[in-house]
Amino acid sequence: MPDITAMGGLNTSLFIGVQALEVSQGALNATSNNIANSNTAGYVREIPEISENPETVSSGVVSGGGVSLNGLQSVRDELLNLQIQQQTSAQSSADTESSALEDIQTNFSSSGSDIASAFSAFSSSLAQLSADPSSTSAQAGVLSAGQNLAGAFHTTANALTTQQSAMNTQVTQTVAQINSLSTQIAQLNGQVAQLTAAGKDGGTIEDQRDELVQQLSQLTGVSVTQSNDGEVITTGNGTPLVMGSQSYSLQTTTGSDGVQHVLDSNGTDITTTLQGGQLGGAIQIRDQVIPSYLTQLNTLASQFASAFNAAQAKGYDSNGKAGQNFFSVPASGAGAAAGISVSITDPSQIAISSDGTSGSNGNVANLSAALTNALPSGQTPSQAYANLVFQVGNDTSNASAQSTAIGQNLTQLTNQQGSVSGVSIDEETTNLIRYQTAYEAAARIVSTIQQLGTVTLDMGSGQSY
Amino acid sequence: MRVNPNMVPDILADMQQSQSAVNIALQEVATGKKVTVPSDNPAAAADMVQNTLETANVDQYTQNVSTMLSMVQTADSSLGSVVTSLTQAISLGTEGANGTNNTSNLQAIASQVQGILQSVVAQANTSYQGTYLFGGTETSSAPYTASSSSSSGYTYNGNSDVNSVAVGDDMNVQLNLPGSQIFSNSNADVLGSLSSLVTALQSGNATAIGTATTAVSAALSNVSQQRVFYGNAESQLNSQETALQQETVSLTSQQSSLVDVDEAQAATDLSQAETANNAAEAAAAKVLPQTLLNYLVPTQ
Repeated sequence: MPDITAMGGLNTSLFIGVQALEVSQGALNATSNNIANSNTAGYVREIPEISENPETVSSGVVSGGGVSLNGLQSVRDELLNLQIQQQTSAQSSADTESSALEDIQTNFSSSGSDIASAFSAFSSSLAQLSADPSSTSAQAGVLSAGQNLAGAFHTTANALTTQQSAMNTQVTQTVAQINSLSTQIAQLNGQVAQLTAAGKDGGTIEDQRDELVQQLSQLTGVSVTQSNDGEVITTGNGTPLVMGSQSYSLQTTTGSDGVQHVLDSNGTDITTTLQGGQLGGAIQIRDQVIPSYLTQLNTLASQFASAFNAAQAKGYDSNGKAGQNFFSVPASGAGAAAGISVSITDPSQIAISSDGTSGSNGNVANLSAALTNALPSGQTPSQAYANLVFQVGNDTSNASAQSTAIGQNLTQLTNQQGSVSGVSIDEETTNLIRYQTAYEAAARIVSTIQQLGTVTLDMGSGQSY
Repeated sequence: MRVNPNMVPDILADMQQSQSAVNIALQEVATGKKVTVPSDNPAAAADMVQNTLETANVDQYTQNVSTMLSMVQTADSSLGSVVTSLTQAISLGTEGANGTNNTSNLQAIASQVQGILQSVVAQANTSYQGTYLFGGTETSSAPYTASSSSSSGYTYNGNSDVNSVAVGDDMNVQLNLPGSQIFSNSNADVLGSLSSLVTALQSGNATAIGTATTAVSAALSNVSQQRVFYGNAESQLNSQETALQQETVSLTSQQSSLVDVDEAQAATDLSQAETANNAAEAAAAKVLPQTLLNYLVPTQ
């Protein structure tokens, strides 16, 4: 019956029109959600997945099946995410090192109170004593320059140990942050796994998880792999942090060396294997960089003190007594820079004389030579210190250059990620117009069909509208 | 290809970079230094450690040279007076030995020589700012004091040591000769020979006067010889002073090439950095607010 077929056709069109309204509304919804989240950290733009329904063939009549909205799809690139996480860890580590070294190096710049200035003042006070050995003011000058030198060693050594303990505190704090992030990630991981198992897109939950993993990679170097249960996150050396919906906390404990060690969930010490991120940077500075500087500084302080004391012993002080130790350093050598002090108390105890008479300056040359002769390390005191200055400067400039280089790399990767996943207001505005037009057109279909239906129903009534 | 719609991080990074360039340039202009912390130039910072030490030392060496020059010149002029005095004593001795003088004349000559002896002793006790110059390393007390037990009437309180003063790295200049080598040398004893001459003149023995005069001549030639040391020291110190001045110049120029900023360059850098920063800010202000929305007419 052809008239029935015609009515069915109108209904089909009405149905398709309603579907089109729903789909356009869904698409507008996606667009508005994208615009709403255009500045949300970690948000990945979503596109509506629209597909055409299969056409139906009934009694030789073909009619379109309409349209349906299958869902919203987040546009993300997992590989880029991984690269960004790695680079973030590397940069965060370089930044931590760079900022610690920036702090450290101010103690090695010529400020007038640094070790180089103190050595200079000590050296010139000895030269002055050489010209005027019996002057009490020249003698007092040497004593106070010696005290200043010891003070400069203290200041520098203390600055290093202060920075070291700041890094130590950072280790504990960072581990706590890592644990909190791991717990949150594990939770989200479970939810994503459920969605995936149901064949759905992870969507915003995945966005949140990726953002947290990104934050985690700032704290320490992580390795992320996919498994059936979701992401598996481990530290660089394979210590698990998150496996599916299970998180594993790291612990800290004070080691025999007095600093905080990081243990995995089984209690194994993994401190030395941690690299990257704030944690890796802090451990590097605390356990490698500063100890190396301190060792050099201690060697310099202890060898110089011995050399100067040996020179003192060659002469006689102004009281005619054999020269006694000018400097005293802790016997162990470790902590020499922090512990060096001037052991004589009176300017008359400086061993100026080579023959015991008060007018002789014969031993001053020996005292001065302690400053210019090579120490057992093979370097003169000023060379040894200059080497340390070079090393500190070089380390600092390398760390900051590294951070800059990684930063550029990271900018590029972030740009790439943005070009894939970022919300473009222009694009969304265009889509808005597109979906608005489609919605208007779909609405027109519905109203047209309604009019047609009314016309058809009124065909026999003789009334006209 | 889709481009990254979010320009904010890029623009921020660019502006931070240009801002940091302005800061660096500003700091260089303000401080006049291109190396303020070691990381600015690690090698230059390391070289500056040595430069700082050398500069302080050279300053002190220069002061030492000028102090020593005064001391050496004082000693040299004392010995100059001694030479004059001894020459005078020799002519008095020669006059006393010629046999034409009566006793009262000889006594008069003897007292003249006695006066010379006292003035020579005064020169031997010369001090410079409280430091006795001819006592060896016994610089705090007068080297020669009157003594009845000594044949010359004076005894030496000093020692035979010498002081050397640092005037350069590994360069020490000897400052003094002990008085025992100049005034009471056993082979050419200034004080002893003058004292013998006085005794001989008082006794009127022409032979003894002659012998004593010869001894004074020998002492004179010894003093002249020893005086050469001070002349040498003076010229050594003068040439070291010149060397130290040159070293000061070269250390200063090393310092400026290591850490000092080229003012013209720094000013140019600063103005370039400012221009770049302004451009970055202007570009950001132009680009950031632009979206399609600016061009869509709102529908009524």
